Amino acid sequence: MSRDALQESLSAVMDNEADELELRRVLNAFDDAETRDTWSRYQVARAVMHKDLLIPRLDIAAAVSAALADEAVPAKAARGPWRSLGRLAVAASVTVAVLAGVRLYNQDEIAGNELAQQTQQPVMAGPQVKGPAVLAGYKESSDTTGPMANGVLQGQSGWQDQRLPGYLRQHAQESASKGTESALPYARAASQENR
Amino acid sequence: MRAIPLLTLWLSSWFALSAHADEAQDWLTRLGRAEQQQSFEGTFVYERNGSFSTHDIWHRVQDGHVRERLLQLDGAAQEALRVDGRTQCVSSVLVAGLASSSDTPSRALDPQKLTQFYELAVIGKSRVAGRNAVIVSISPRDQYRFGFELHLDRETALPLKSLLLNDQGQLLERFQYTRLDTRAVPSDQDLQPGRECSPVAVASSKVSSTPVTQVWHLDWLPPGFQQISAVTRKDTQTKATVDSLMYDDGLARFSVFLESAKGADVNETRAQLGPTVAVSRRLNTVEGEMMVTVVGEIPIGTAERIALSVRSGKAAAKP
Repeated sequence: MSRDALQESLSAVMDNEADELELRRVLNAFDDAETRDTWSRYQVARAVMHKDLLIPRLDIAAAVSAALADEAVPAKAARGPWRSLGRLAVAASVTVAVLAGVRLYNQDEIAGNELAQQTQQPVMAGPQVKGPAVLAGYKESSDTTGPMANGVLQGQSGWQDQRLPGYLRQHAQESASKGTESALPYARAASQENR
Repeated sequence: MRAIPLLTLWLSSWFALSAHADEAQDWLTRLGRAEQQQSFEGTFVYERNGSFSTHDIWHRVQDGHVRERLLQLDGAAQEALRVDGRTQCVSSVLVAGLASSSDTPSRALDPQKLTQFYELAVIGKSRVAGRNAVIVSISPRDQYRFGFELHLDRETALPLKSLLLNDQGQLLERFQYTRLDTRAVPSDQDLQPGRECSPVAVASSKVSSTPVTQVWHLDWLPPGFQQISAVTRKDTQTKATVDSLMYDDGLARFSVFLESAKGADVNETRAQLGPTVAVSRRLNTVEGEMMVTVVGEIPIGTAERIALSVRSGKAAAKP
């Protein structure tokens, strides 16, 4: 099983687009810590896109598993009312785990953003948490420094510094030459030169 | 008996809805034609996260030829001249990588095709640049693309304002005229580019032995996207060979760039510049490690998934 295929399946599961096979593939691989990390990273990325930020590290699946593991398996002999009571107890503790998780997950937006900023997720740059799309508070172009000063960049390194502006430029200019929507792609291309 | 008024109500609302969609389609069809038929000059602003610029535009339709000159009014005097959809010259800052692709003509807007992936509707009227406008919303039917809100001139159907919105309805970019004159026909002098505008030369390095499309393919494409170009070019600064593929769905576009990582210490990156995202990741191939970078006006999740689906090899790309 290649890593790529697995990641793709994960992505598909997240988009609700996975077929049976992909779902099974993901479930099988879910014991693997790395896979779970990837999953939670995708969740964060998705949450940022949907603007409902949550505690990224919170792992409901793990909490549920733990709750199940802690629960003593009801003795086989115990027939009668006690047995169903035991089952109820398991169900209840799982419910509590899930509910606690859900409550934490669905913090309102502001609290969520604060949390994310406090936890300093290595994957996500702070500004992106606020939403990648904000026009308010733009700066005059002459104020900006560096090739990507306005963008939200993560995992920055020399290579990206060198290549990304070129890629962005090529994309914008090629779009402009293929553009159907009038001057818009030109304006986009031009705006990338304004640094 | 009670069913009859209900049925009429249902039918009339259905007709009204489809009429709305048809009306929107008509407006987009008019928009597609407007720039081929209408001369104008004006001033517009472009705004995205971190950038605000103003531009003058002269657009002349004469004897079936369209000549268009654009000039940035603030900062560097960036300029471009386009004749019949082909770029003739750009000011020095804009050159690079454009040359080889400029010989393919631009594609026409096809509202019929758009309706497969976007919902079109006339959602109201507005006033932009002192002119009356109708608002046409183009909202995506899936989560793989962004939506537009176009304010089209009631008289000419020219786009007076164009907003790009994400799935939360947040504004990613704004393109808006502040002045538009459709009565004046720009003179030769107006359309004369300045000395800074250097002619677009055909790149000499564009010929590649293997078509790029045979070397790379995508296992997954967002529905409706088609490849519109494939280019191999040599970066003038880094001397590296970069393969690039471009795709569009009739409205949105993204590019995939492939370049050898050559053992360089490269991180996987996610960046967002206003409406444009860039996602890059490593890909192991038989020829060594490559960097795959997806750049486009698409949601970051879409870009991420595309980047994950790039494969090398001659397998046929799925539609």
